[in-house]
Amino acid sequence: MGAILTAGLYAVMSYGLALIYGVMKLINLSHAGTMMFGAFITLTLNRAFHLDPVLGSLIVLPLFFGFGMALYATIVRRIARSAPIVSLLLLFGLWLVLQNVAYLIWGNEDQSIVTAYTYSTIKIGFLSLAVTRVIVFAAGLAALAVLAWFISRTYTGKAVRAVSLNYEAARLAGINVERIAALSFGLGTGLAAFAGSLLTLLFSFTPDFGGLFQTKAFCVIVLGGLTSFVGVAIGSLLLALVESFGVLFMRASLQNLIAFGLLFVALVFMPGGLMSLVKARRA
Amino acid sequence: MSKRDTIVAICLLIVLLLVPRVLGGTYVLDLGVLTFLFISQAIAWNLLGGYAGQISFGYASFFGIGAYATGYLWLHGWEPLLTLPVGALLAAVFSLIVGLPAFRLTGAYFVIATLAVGLAMRVVALNTEAVTGGASGLNLPTQVPGKEWFYHAMLILMCGCFLISAAVRSSRFGMALTALRLDQAAAESLGINVALYKNLAHTLGAVLVAIGGGIYAVYFQYIHPDQVFGFEISIGMVLMPVIGGLGTLWGPVLGGTLYYAIQDTLLTVFPFAHLLVYGLLLMVIMIVEPRGLLGMARLIKLPRLAKRGRLAEGTSTEPA
Repeated sequence: MGAILTAGLYAVMSYGLALIYGVMKLINLSHAGTMMFGAFITLTLNRAFHLDPVLGSLIVLPLFFGFGMALYATIVRRIARSAPIVSLLLLFGLWLVLQNVAYLIWGNEDQSIVTAYTYSTIKIGFLSLAVTRVIVFAAGLAALAVLAWFISRTYTGKAVRAVSLNYEAARLAGINVERIAALSFGLGTGLAAFAGSLLTLLFSFTPDFGGLFQTKAFCVIVLGGLTSFVGVAIGSLLLALVESFGVLFMRASLQNLIAFGLLFVALVFMPGGLMSLVKARRA
Repeated sequence: MSKRDTIVAICLLIVLLLVPRVLGGTYVLDLGVLTFLFISQAIAWNLLGGYAGQISFGYASFFGIGAYATGYLWLHGWEPLLTLPVGALLAAVFSLIVGLPAFRLTGAYFVIATLAVGLAMRVVALNTEAVTGGASGLNLPTQVPGKEWFYHAMLILMCGCFLISAAVRSSRFGMALTALRLDQAAAESLGINVALYKNLAHTLGAVLVAIGGGIYAVYFQYIHPDQVFGFEISIGMVLMPVIGGLGTLWGPVLGGTLYYAIQDTLLTVFPFAHLLVYGLLLMVIMIVEPRGLLGMARLIKLPRLAKRGRLAEGTSTEPA
């Protein structure tokens, strides 16, 4: 049960990454920086207006959607067509910049948000669950449901899927690929920040925050086959399950090693994600 | 190496040999030791990252292995200098363990895989207290030679790295690396064993970085997993050649010098601003000219040289 709650969290963290990769074939190394920045904006809102982090995340999402769009229009657009290494290093540079702007604004200390319900639990049947984890799970699920609706039902959503499948063909079909790319970069950035603000309910954070979650998000999307919506859900669930069972056999401090190891193994041995294993067996 | 490169290198070496005798002082020696260390790392990373265009974020693991091999054996009564080959050997073995599977990946996938390895090694080091001292680190013996000894040791290491880099660059091996960077499929179709050359460059870089890690351990007499396996070390090794000029002979030298100079001047005034500067520099370089500062310099000179019909060698190579 705990694993499923964790999986919901991982899915929110990862979908932004998968969306940007899908449409632009671009690995967003600034994902961690955006998550961290989202967390700090939520903190500031909480300090200034006693705003609940969940409400804060709803403000952060459109804010960073705009930030992502602006970033695309000014910087990312220029390098979207160059070698993968160029975009990778550029976004990595952006991560460094975000991290250090956060240092300059908020300093180096561990920050956390404590709400009225931080330490309370609820009982479902014989299970007792932390309220914060349930809230994060529910908020994440709601966000993903809206996204799933957007991607599968709206015209723009269909265009996003078309561009992920085949950039050139989508362009020939008359889709404004530039606009779709800008939109998905904005959406991916917004989702990363949204995930960051939800994380404030569960963890304390510093400007270094996010690196670990970013790696886990990479792990999730690689397991899930990099682009598909279902893949992200499966990948999240698998990582969360392996982690929670892994703890039974190894020291808790080694838990993060699972994500790193799984990421490496998945990349090298099943670059098409878990789905490719299923397909290979069928073939 | 062209004749001009050789002359510049010899002149620089003479100046660097004179510095401790003319200027002296602890500060200058410290500055020299660390700058040479950074430059040698940058050159070592550039063999794979620059010549072959395979960007790795995992080189801190070689640095850490070198540092801990020296630290551990030194505590067990070995002579520090004799531990350096052991660290280099361990790093070479590890580079193959990582490289053999990881080089099945190309482009961004390879980068992400090395990122995972780099981060994982730090966690492993933190959790193997018996060897690494875990989160409390390792205190090493305090009887060490004077700073002048380290200045010259690092200078030798740096010159060694530079000569190796220059030799690789003009060899068959270096040309194979360039070929596979420009077009891996084409290189393979010409019969170049891509996996072999990538692994060779990776291992050679790992050995050089590990030796630097070993000397570093002796110099500081204290090592900690967060420090020698830290992500900052890996980031630094990526940033230096990229800032200076990826895949060039002098790029890592220029980048390493600038990198440490920026860090040294900003670290005391604004503790976190140095990474901000690196980040901005990286973004500007990627947008304007992915070939780094040397590439920018060429960009300015190019029209004039082209008019004279003397196109500088290497300008036609694509950015990695």
